[in-house]
Amino acid sequence: MFGVILYSQWKWSRLIIGLGTVAGFGLPILSVQSAARTGDQPLQAGDLLQTIQSWGALYPVLAAALAVLVAIATWAPDHRGRHVHALSLPLPRWRYALLRFGAGLVLLAPPILAVLIGAGLATALAAIPAGLQGYPVALAARFALAVGVGYAVFFAISAGTTRTASAILLVIGALIVVQVVARVANVDLDLVTRLQILFVNWPGPLAIFTGRWMLIDV
Amino acid sequence: MNNAIEVHDLLYRAGKTFEIKDLDLHVPTGSIYGFLGPNGSGKTTTIRLVLGLLRPRAGRISVLGRSMAADAPSVLARTGYVPEQPHLDPTLTVRETLRFQAAFYPTWDRTWAEQLLRSFDLDERLPFGRLSKGQKGKVMMLLALAQRPELLVLDEPTDGLDPVVRRDMLTALVDYVSQREATVFISSHLVHELERICDWVGVMDNGRLITELPMDQFKSGIKRLHVAEAPPHVSETPFALLARESNGGASESWIVRGWEPEMAVYFEGIGASLQTVIDLDLEEGFVELLRTFRAPRA
Amino acid sequence: MYNRGSRILIATLLAAPPLLGQTTAELRARADSLAREWRQANALADLQDTLRHLARRSGQDTISVGALIILANSSPLPLQEAAAQAWPVIERLYGPAAQAIAEHPIVIQAVDPDTAVDRPPVGEGLQVPWNLSIGDLTRLLQSRVDFGPVDPGLREWLGGSPLLGSDPAPRRAQVYVQLVTAPSIAVRRCFLGAVDACRDALSLSDAPDLLTRWYDPAERRALAMQMFHLRPGANQTRVLSCKSGNDSACLDLLASSPPGTIARPLDYGARFTLVEQALHMGGRDAFLRLLDAKPRDVEDRLAAVAGVGVDSLIAHWLGEIRAARPVPADLPPWGTWVALGWMGVFAAFGLGSSRWRVS
Repeated sequence: MFGVILYSQWKWSRLIIGLGTVAGFGLPILSVQSAARTGDQPLQAGDLLQTIQSWGALYPVLAAALAVLVAIATWAPDHRGRHVHALSLPLPRWRYALLRFGAGLVLLAPPILAVLIGAGLATALAAIPAGLQGYPVALAARFALAVGVGYAVFFAISAGTTRTASAILLVIGALIVVQVVARVANVDLDLVTRLQILFVNWPGPLAIFTGRWMLIDV
Repeated sequence: MNNAIEVHDLLYRAGKTFEIKDLDLHVPTGSIYGFLGPNGSGKTTTIRLVLGLLRPRAGRISVLGRSMAADAPSVLARTGYVPEQPHLDPTLTVRETLRFQAAFYPTWDRTWAEQLLRSFDLDERLPFGRLSKGQKGKVMMLLALAQRPELLVLDEPTDGLDPVVRRDMLTALVDYVSQREATVFISSHLVHELERICDWVGVMDNGRLITELPMDQFKSGIKRLHVAEAPPHVSETPFALLARESNGGASESWIVRGWEPEMAVYFEGIGASLQTVIDLDLEEGFVELLRTFRAPRA
Repeated sequence: MYNRGSRILIATLLAAPPLLGQTTAELRARADSLAREWRQANALADLQDTLRHLARRSGQDTISVGALIILANSSPLPLQEAAAQAWPVIERLYGPAAQAIAEHPIVIQAVDPDTAVDRPPVGEGLQVPWNLSIGDLTRLLQSRVDFGPVDPGLREWLGGSPLLGSDPAPRRAQVYVQLVTAPSIAVRRCFLGAVDACRDALSLSDAPDLLTRWYDPAERRALAMQMFHLRPGANQTRVLSCKSGNDSACLDLLASSPPGTIARPLDYGARFTLVEQALHMGGRDAFLRLLDAKPRDVEDRLAAVAGVGVDSLIAHWLGEIRAARPVPADLPPWGTWVALGWMGVFAAFGLGSSRWRVS
């Protein structure tokens, strides 16, 4: 069962996986290469760290993009057929969802491996200045976690019904209304900042995406 | 177990206007049950309720002796379903679709699936999404049959298909039923098509089951009588009087159910004369039945 | 009416008899007497200043814990509690030198934290809102202790205050990053263990060719471009020559800049950690030796503070800095488990996908 579901999801997401794999492999290599000076001079530590930090902002973006697109592709065949086929199969709903979830995770493995291989190659081939070192495994592991968390979030959203989506939108709308009313009434209530802290700071779910993504660091 | 499908006091509402109420349905095991009704009568909704795709507000549903939707996986493992609209992954080829379906059914008959593939003349390399309507219908029928189900639920499987395709699909269906004592629950508004294969019929209109009875009773039971000089009001009749219409002058047409030839003496008793007895085919009987159901009660 | 200098002068002159017709011995004795008079006048003037200040602060509180003296207006500010917490820390950090702060009370002007209320004009002392917490107030007191004038050479070299207090670990970690990333050949060599390069990088040596020892030709070019390229008043011919790779032109440009405008390879933090290292090695009286008023160059002063030679001090300092290598901490140790946990939570939501979705 898992094999056929994996195959069907692969057909929907192969372009995403392919592009994501190429991007994941190329990103670390490009980040190190762009910091190199001309004339084969050794990499300058300060420049290197700045460049690595700038390129590092692309890792969470790539992770989020992969997560969203693969999660959408996971449920795409069922959404297309309005879930009638899936619901007429002889297995419980949760088990079917688990198969879908697992297949998506398996499909996300190639881009993650690509980041690991690319990062490893980039740090192995670069002349890293004294005092700095490469962290290809740590970077790839963090990338994997970010992809995993993002995928799980959007998998849950995609698996929801129209009613669930409406409920979520209603809650968001209510929060906005409360914020606006509080502002008009001059009440000190900053929901947006509090929610941001809740979601984006540790131990919130999106905290894995924040901070510096450094392939090379002290 | 006498009935493959049993529905008791089913209540379902969708929106503010559509309702299925007090539905009692019984599909005998081993029968080919034709589920008739005009468009929008609730046939597809009833099928989805039976298969656990919709949740009723009240009532009990039992399929193959198990309760729906609590035991849905075990029931669906023994049930082949052809929905009204194509529901399969459009990116998978015919071959890949077969492989996908086979993975979920231990009873999948690979040999027979290949046979059907050939007899339906399907190109296994084409993606499902690029098949014609008729070809999609054949694929869905193939999937339902190849898993060797005990119960086949077909929701207007030949709707919009050309006669050749319809013939192929119905032939495959009949072949299957002849090989194996399976129950078939088939809905359609193409009455003449069901007339040839069904041995039970249920008629649905506006969310209500009007009648449910063996096909021969349905066909033979409804007659059109041409009656002359009938009094305006008649008391109890030995048959079910479904409708009276004037033909002009003193002549009337009576639509009746449960007619027996010896009942002709009744008209002598009321001072009328029976001129002709006309057998109605299934479609005519179906139309008359609907007409009487929809007419306001006197 | 009269400033302090005038009063001393007047007092001295009034006490001085005529100088005509004196022998050498008499003149010497007279000079000694004048010096004594001058010292007494100075002391009188100091006393007058203190009394004037005390008079101005009539109605003010004086909080005294150990040698820590605070003068403040009456307010809800928890100065007593903060001083009680601050003094033991000050005594521990500065040792016997801490007693010197008694001569330099901290003056605080407690103000209403409500920004809508008009504040008094800034006078003597530090304006502190009276809702400041005890913890913050304690740290403020620790950072404002005054030992009196610090040796000008030391202050100029250090580029800031030699006051101790905060946890040295983050500071050392920052210095580590500097040693690794600063665009200076001297700093790179220092990181790799060359003590002489560290002396240059820490601006301890006063060699005339310091610029060439700090920066290699490429770095000098980058520095010169940063300072002079497209700046008004710069000799553009020389700038272009430097830009094209002429190191002499770059050196000339840099030499033409006013003293103190060329960035030193290591910042105040690095030099301060060297001072901290010397104090740590020098024992309890080390800070006293740091504040010693006797003029001496910075290297000698630091060696005296540490009790060892400068090279040894630098070697120890380098070891401490290397040991303080920062750990990239963007993902907390428990972050992996938190992320996996959230994955599980949202996957569970997804697995709860409803069967009732067909319409």
